[in-house]
Amino acid sequence: MLVAAGCTPQSVTEEGRAVYGLYNLFLYIAAVVFVVVSGLVIWSVIRYRRRDDELPKQTHGNNRLELTWTLIPTVIVLVLFVFTMQAQNKVLDQSGDADVNITATAFQWSWRFAYEGTGAEVVGSPESIPEMVVPVGQTIRVKLLSADVVHSFYVPQTLFKRQAIPGTENLFDLTFEKTGLFHGQCTQFCGLQHPDMVFRVRVVSQGEYQSWLAAETRRGAAGQPGT
Amino acid sequence: MATTELPLPALPEAHHEEPGGIVDYLTTVDHKKIGILYIFTAFAVFLAGGVLALVVRWELASPGLQAMGENTYNQVFTMHGTLMIFLFAAQVTTGLGNYLVPLQIGAADVAFPRANAMSYWLYLFGVLIVVSSFFVAGGPAAVAWTAYAPLSTREYFQGTGMDLWIIGLAVVGVAGILGAVNLVTTIFRMRMPGMTMFRMPLFTWGVLVNQLLILFAFPALTVVFALLFLERNFGAQFFDPTYGGSPILFQHIFWFFGHPEVYIIILPIFGIINEVIPVFSRKPLFGYRAMVFAFFGIAALSFGVWAHHMFATGLVYLPYFSIMSLLIAVPTGIKVFNWIGTMWRGSITLSTAMLMSLGFIVVFLIGGITGIFLASPPIDFAVNDTYYVVAHFHYIMVGGLLYGMFAGFYFWFPKFTGRLLSERLGRWHFATFFIGFNLTFFFQFLVGLDGMPRRIADYEIERWTSANVLSTVGAFLTGVSVLIFIWNFWVSIRRGKRAGDDPWEGNSLEWVTSSPPPSHNFHHLPEVHSERPAFDYRHRGDPELAPVKTDPERDPDRG
Ligand SMILES: [Cu+2]
Ligand SMILES: [Cu+2]
Repeated sequence: MLVAAGCTPQSVTEEGRAVYGLYNLFLYIAAVVFVVVSGLVIWSVIRYRRRDDELPKQTHGNNRLELTWTLIPTVIVLVLFVFTMQAQNKVLDQSGDADVNITATAFQWSWRFAYEGTGAEVVGSPESIPEMVVPVGQTIRVKLLSADVVHSFYVPQTLFKRQAIPGTENLFDLTFEKTGLFHGQCTQFCGLQHPDMVFRVRVVSQGEYQSWLAAETRRGAAGQPGT
Repeated sequence: MATTELPLPALPEAHHEEPGGIVDYLTTVDHKKIGILYIFTAFAVFLAGGVLALVVRWELASPGLQAMGENTYNQVFTMHGTLMIFLFAAQVTTGLGNYLVPLQIGAADVAFPRANAMSYWLYLFGVLIVVSSFFVAGGPAAVAWTAYAPLSTREYFQGTGMDLWIIGLAVVGVAGILGAVNLVTTIFRMRMPGMTMFRMPLFTWGVLVNQLLILFAFPALTVVFALLFLERNFGAQFFDPTYGGSPILFQHIFWFFGHPEVYIIILPIFGIINEVIPVFSRKPLFGYRAMVFAFFGIAALSFGVWAHHMFATGLVYLPYFSIMSLLIAVPTGIKVFNWIGTMWRGSITLSTAMLMSLGFIVVFLIGGITGIFLASPPIDFAVNDTYYVVAHFHYIMVGGLLYGMFAGFYFWFPKFTGRLLSERLGRWHFATFFIGFNLTFFFQFLVGLDGMPRRIADYEIERWTSANVLSTVGAFLTGVSVLIFIWNFWVSIRRGKRAGDDPWEGNSLEWVTSSPPPSHNFHHLPEVHSERPAFDYRHRGDPELAPVKTDPERDPDRG
């Protein structure tokens, strides 16, 4: 049954690949634990059904056995912890310089994506879904802000999310490995139209990105009188 | 008859009245009647919360908005969570504890009968305040049961409903603290001679640790609600960053209560399972002391893990909260293995109480294992706030809590009423519940992994529909299972088989007294020489089974 739970979407980012691997490691161990434990439960129920009135042997415990099943889970979780920390370091690594810096601002109930140093900006509304356009294969550094309440930036296929908290700047990196259009959504309940806080990430080639950025920058400049 | 002198406190007047009658229940300070009041009130809240859950499932069965607007939907799921977590889950087990703990430790009543009554009436009062928010302009709160600031501040959510929500829950919190003082004192001070701590039934242990957790965790809840109330009504700026306040502060205090709350709910349930499995395996509990230490291990860890609910904030120290959360698997694992050890080479009867306990182990296992996933920050980043989390904690809360609760109901109903619940209807109840429950929540893991966020009235992604349809069908089947239980209750309380004092060959002292017990609980009490006084008493005179031969002529205070 648990094996069926393994359908995590394949990640489309470098960071997400570490999460995907970690998830599958957890899943294999979980499946073994589930099968062994529920197998023991089912076995003992079938094998030791009451057949007569004779009282079974009144055993009160077994220290060696109990120590064993204290140590086994301890070892398992310590191993899982080590792999967790490895994956976490990959997901949260921000040591390199970013190629693209985007300030993403969540507000009730949509998103604003501002491209640092270019003047390009995309603003959505509940009626018009905003698109965050990014180049493939480059490190995107998102600076996440909130204009009002707590929201959460989530693109399922990156296997990553982060809360947008008023008064806080949250930084994270995304490195897309595939081009395409990906669904994104706010996942922290944020009021009346929370389900409408949808956005898209459009991952395009380097060249397409440059021309999109140029057009968007011109549009931004034209749209703002006085600049 | 082997009897000991009862350690009787001065009995208040109400103890001498005949049971029954509304006036009697309104004025009672008898712990058993207060326990029944708690259980009935909590069960009524559960039914209301369940109806709201069905409304949620109805709306989600297909994409788009069908049955209601977004605001109504937000109110419905907020109140579903509120009723279930704040007003039902901890109180139904408090009710069972109220009824059973004095019986299990051989006491005539609780330590503070009047404070106990006050605790119940405050609880009811709090429930009514929260429910009254349905009838004010603007309706009830619609900010999710976690009520994160600043969404729950007046700037973003106006309306009296929200204030009634805060006041009502604060009152219920105070009721919980008062009740906990009473039950903890009862367990420490009211045990009969011979009933040492390490001879107490595991259900009483579960209630003790659960009430200790309430004493430490509920004050944090009171604090966070007090701050929120001041922020909403008196212009305090605790959570507003423009005035140096902090939204993250709200999350910290809330989850400092919120995570222990999970164990406040589940520890007495562990206690129920610890009582049911040995009785229907006809063996002592395997590893009694390890079970007690596991309770304390879980309780201690539960105060050090709260920020696993906040991994996605990017503002907490991940390694510490991750390893602490992972380690909870160890004491929990001990419990599960000791249950299997109890059944191993036993003589197992599959009564409904036992079936519910086995169902508990299986669903709790799934809930626990997926909890391990969520203790890993990178995995949590992927699935936090999706239906994966919804499925996970419903496996713990609905699975864990309800299977254990029903196991307890089938197990102790004969003690409460003198009649047995129907086992035939019980089997139907179990079967429909087991299928309905898994149908409802298992597919939510899949749709959550696929990225469906929680708390949305509407979704645009078509491939999420099939899982949601199955979930809705399962939810209604679960609803049917609850109706079967109510029907079972209805017919059994009138025409159920007579139970006698000890229908299951129980281990703890409540099975020695009559069903239902007299107002002062016991006409006579056997001596206590082990953690199974009723077992010893049943096998008295058999040197192989009863560890110390109870001699009717012997001085009762020999202890
Ligand atoms: Cu939002
Ligand atoms: Cu938790």
